[in-house]
Amino acid sequence: MSIVTNDSPNLIRFLMGNEAIARGVIESGCALATAYPGTPSSEVMESLTRWKKELRYPIYLEWSINEKVAFEVAYGASLAGSRSAVIMKMVGLNVASDPFLSAAYLGVRGGLVVIVADDPGPHSSQTEQDSRFFAWFAKVPVYDPASPAEALSMTRRAFDLSEKYHVPVMLRPCLRVCHARQNVSMSGPLDPVTVGPFQKNWTKWAATPKFRLVLHGELNEKIKNISLQESDTRPRLISGAKESTLAIITSGSVSSHVQDIVVSDSRLSEVPVYKVDAPYPVNHKALQELVDSKTQTLVIEETYPVIELQLIDKTKVRGRISGHVPQQGELTPEVVERIIMNFSGVETEEMVSPTIRARRPSLCAGCPHRPAFFMIKKLFSESIFTGDIGCYTLGVNLGAVDTCLCMGASIGMASGFAHAADKTDNDQVVATIGDSTFFHAGVPALINAVHTGANFVLVLMDNNITAMTGGQPTPATDFLADGASAVPVDMEKLIRGCGVKSLEVVDPYDYRALEEALTTAKFFSHEKRSGVSVVITRRACIRSRSSSVPNIKFQVGENCDRCMTCIRDLECPAISFVKQEKIVQIDLDLCSGCGFCVDVCPSQAIAAWRNVK
Amino acid sequence: MTQMILCGRGGQGIVFLTRLLGDIATQKGLNVISSETHGMAVRGGSVNSHLKIGPFSSPLIRWGQADCLVSLDSSETLNNEHFLKQGGIVFENSSASSESGLYRVDASNMARSIGGIQLENVILLGFSIFLSNFEISLDDIRQQLAEGSRYRTREQNLAALEAGVRVAEALME
Repeated sequence: MSIVTNDSPNLIRFLMGNEAIARGVIESGCALATAYPGTPSSEVMESLTRWKKELRYPIYLEWSINEKVAFEVAYGASLAGSRSAVIMKMVGLNVASDPFLSAAYLGVRGGLVVIVADDPGPHSSQTEQDSRFFAWFAKVPVYDPASPAEALSMTRRAFDLSEKYHVPVMLRPCLRVCHARQNVSMSGPLDPVTVGPFQKNWTKWAATPKFRLVLHGELNEKIKNISLQESDTRPRLISGAKESTLAIITSGSVSSHVQDIVVSDSRLSEVPVYKVDAPYPVNHKALQELVDSKTQTLVIEETYPVIELQLIDKTKVRGRISGHVPQQGELTPEVVERIIMNFSGVETEEMVSPTIRARRPSLCAGCPHRPAFFMIKKLFSESIFTGDIGCYTLGVNLGAVDTCLCMGASIGMASGFAHAADKTDNDQVVATIGDSTFFHAGVPALINAVHTGANFVLVLMDNNITAMTGGQPTPATDFLADGASAVPVDMEKLIRGCGVKSLEVVDPYDYRALEEALTTAKFFSHEKRSGVSVVITRRACIRSRSSSVPNIKFQVGENCDRCMTCIRDLECPAISFVKQEKIVQIDLDLCSGCGFCVDVCPSQAIAAWRNVK
Repeated sequence: MTQMILCGRGGQGIVFLTRLLGDIATQKGLNVISSETHGMAVRGGSVNSHLKIGPFSSPLIRWGQADCLVSLDSSETLNNEHFLKQGGIVFENSSASSESGLYRVDASNMARSIGGIQLENVILLGFSIFLSNFEISLDDIRQQLAEGSRYRTREQNLAALEAGVRVAEALME
């Protein structure tokens, strides 16, 4: 961990992009930051909590229930006069889009920076959407950092710009900035900035449609002024010779690949590379003049053609619209190299793609979700399984997840399947959702399902943490982001309060109890058709601090008749079939001692091996 | 200038090694940039890190440019070989014997015998650094590991590093 142990200026540390952004937040005098976890953004809030502690920096931090609420909390703080930040991944901005678009009209008081991490690829997301496009849609200026060091600098510039023009400003780092590490120079933290107390003015802060029209005009004026007056909206030369008849215009993380490729190849080093730090709103005149002065210009940006589309005359432009840059997939250095070679007329060899047999991700050995999925599959063999977003999407490996749309959709979609059942044969539905996702977007869907009398079983996999993103607290935990005490929300009372009549809570390691609880739910929802039933499978994530895994390991004995039930139906990474010796084996390095396989084995061949120290 | 790929399965300590080397390079005043895998892939899936020391802007290594490949899992070696330049060297955690340009150490079994499987990454590191010509020396790593905050981890890491070095020494004899 790169740790700042004092607040003396000009320290250099090896920082992850997300740590550098957090440092930029502290160096900007920010008094409040909120976030909902999501790869690749999660480490920003985690770094803030570390710096808060180590520097005793007076900032309020929270992991919010979802991105919409996170945005609204940060916006409230901005109106109160504080600098504030809200952090999320790009699909989180879809959830926060309502306040995001409205806040652009209303404007801000204390600087408000909206940090949205994009995932071209996608590596760990549902879409490859470009948040700069969303910024354009909302008429919000956006910074696009190329590296961790630049992410720190741009975070600071974003706060200044936001306060200068009274608009929210977006910082859009891509995965290759968020999860890159670099030697980064840091300055001391700035004392929290305030612009003075809130002044009531309903025509602005509670504007009715008539005044919204006025505010829209003001927003347009702000955007125009930013594009004309701020140098970050102009293309600036970062390498090559100005005189060349060609030019490359780039932005963000992909600009770092462009620069390395051009600089390292003598055949390309003359080609001038221009970078735009704030790709919306660009300075149209400066951009068009550059393009007009060249015979050809190549635009390389991640992931949508934001700069390219802002060019009025694109006849001499190559990019995504002209088909010279692929319309999907991450722009990796190999892809970028080929595009630049073709553009510059340099001969290239045929690129041979390597054969990659990537290991598929799997629920951890001992993960409490595994027994839950196993039992769902066993008892509901004819059902449709609507799944959700989290580690437990990996229930697909056990054949117990059939759909995955977005946060909370397991419940909404289960209602749809259930209500459509009269017209189809799919009348049995089981939804699975994790605790954090349930709080995030599942609660309104559950109320809706209860209210409309949808018949399905909901399995709420409660591991008491947001596991996939590294173990952040949920509203049911008794601590906040920085460890301060929180009021835990009672999940059972919440579910009962939603109107659910059938509710069971069970330890998923307990084979018989799990079987019984799911059978009861099946009878209630699928046979009696009495509405939604909920089964909470509750056990702490084995990677969390509160996890209690037995100090024992298991092995396969001589009774094993190689029926493959454990391998096929349990999909535990610790259990494998060794082809040479034709035996089923438990890897003692991986076995976590949950013992669920003992009950799964039809031949009773699995037994405790030894206690471990 | 060095470009290094570190690879393995989620949970084997690839990020730990990347961060350790990057911290040391930074303290030595070098320019260093890296990229690592997070998120769903870490759940037992294939992971790799790119580490570049020198005047680079991009955190990613292009195919055919890496000087060496440090691999904690032999099947992951195959998934990352295309990053290696011609004549690039592989350091691999494997019970098989070494070949030209492919140096192997049975780090998993050694780790189990000296304190736990989680030490396999540091054993491989000691082995690799002894056999390579790199901006970061074994002494730099010893010093950095000795500053670890928890006594047990610190002592175990140092022992693991030396265990890796001894295998490399024996290989050179």
